[in-house]
Amino acid sequence: MKFLKIILSILIFISPANANTIFYLIKIPNLEIHHSKSMNGLKYLKATKPFNVGIRDNNVSCFNSSEEDIEKKMHLIEKNLNRYSSAFLNKINLKYVVLCENLTVSQINTAGVPNPKTKTLIVDIKFNEKHFERVLHHEIFHMIDESHKEKFLYEKWESFNNPEFKYAECSTCSDRLGLSLLKEDKGFLTEYSMSTPSEDMAEVFSFLMINKKMIEDKASMDPILNNKILLIKNNILKIHKNFNF
Amino acid sequence: MIKKLKQTISEKILLIFVIALAIIFFGSFITIKNKCLFVKDYDPKKINFSKPKNIAVLNAYCGNVIIELYPNISPNSVERFKMLIKSGEYNDVAFHRVIKNVLVQSGDLEFGKKNNLNYAYIGTGKSGYGTIKSELKKKFDFKKGTVALARTDEINTEDSQFFILLQDAPLFEGEYTPVGRVIYGLEVLKKIKYDEKTEYVLRPDFINYFEMLIN
Repeated sequence: MKFLKIILSILIFISPANANTIFYLIKIPNLEIHHSKSMNGLKYLKATKPFNVGIRDNNVSCFNSSEEDIEKKMHLIEKNLNRYSSAFLNKINLKYVVLCENLTVSQINTAGVPNPKTKTLIVDIKFNEKHFERVLHHEIFHMIDESHKEKFLYEKWESFNNPEFKYAECSTCSDRLGLSLLKEDKGFLTEYSMSTPSEDMAEVFSFLMINKKMIEDKASMDPILNNKILLIKNNILKIHKNFNF
Repeated sequence: MIKKLKQTISEKILLIFVIALAIIFFGSFITIKNKCLFVKDYDPKKINFSKPKNIAVLNAYCGNVIIELYPNISPNSVERFKMLIKSGEYNDVAFHRVIKNVLVQSGDLEFGKKNNLNYAYIGTGKSGYGTIKSELKKKFDFKKGTVALARTDEINTEDSQFFILLQDAPLFEGEYTPVGRVIYGLEVLKKIKYDEKTEYVLRPDFINYFEMLIN
């Protein structure tokens, strides 16, 4: 397996970058348009070859998916992302969704990589089949957070938790990776919520988008969670007053 | 008495081969030397235009590039573009960013002038007239030949720099402000000097002159 990974990594590095006009727009090589006529103006791009991008040492890499795999997921992706209006997407700087698989950042698998500067969200179409739809909204929250950092202050968020609780230094430096809903009522929805404030916020947002009633019921017995939901809701509505959860 | 020698068939073939080789050698020498050999140079005076007031002629090394401007699509940007063309600001300005078969970019009036070329800053220069707002709302098909204003990473930062597409770029719609389209002479732009390794060209080609058909 390790040998296979090394071979694949070498192949990525020797694959020539396909510099086309898309590259000059969003700085990701080897992409082509998959679908550009969505109802909210999102443009879906797909990788034609593996690519490496990133500010530090091209540390973000992703592989191209088969047409069949993209088509299988496309209806789920569109069903969920069509819930965001073009006006809202404009405010969170999202215009391009790049579809690929085995997305990694510094060789750690990840569901998505947001980049408001290039208005791009890279999505791993094969990341966690079970929670795929919710993960899409989770990644959308990271676009929101990146574009409106002043509204989602981590210190305030952390103050909602029990004083003895400490988040990890970063989302990948903990083993709190579970995405299933926790039964306990201690202010956290999933194990992954406990990794960092940003991931915690993204988890709350994604549950609000996928199963609002269930987590609002849960919050009625969990004051910490209730505070977190209120903060997310209020700030999203400040960004876009017509937003529908 | 000198005896006349008759050429053998193999000697004749050899002679024909040598002549053909010489033709190919000198022919390719001329072709390589003259990069504009097969590029048609259009004379705008010999063409009938439906809207001559919106026709601009950019003259480069291999000839004329005839551009139709679209004030109905991007009125303010076309106004700025026309003003710079009419005042001769683009004359002797470098094609500083050329990406083979993708686009050519020019219009850096501060650091791209022939007599004041500054390789350290070329591409970052301003016109001195200030920036203008992006005009992105109207539908526009960014196909090959489209002329659009360049900008920084931020919108509403258009100034004097412009690019011309050498390939279709549908995703540029809503990102860049279109000002016109090349209607004749796109081949001239394909002959502009480029570097395979970098977007920014050392010792670039220049716009000889850029003028409106009717001033």
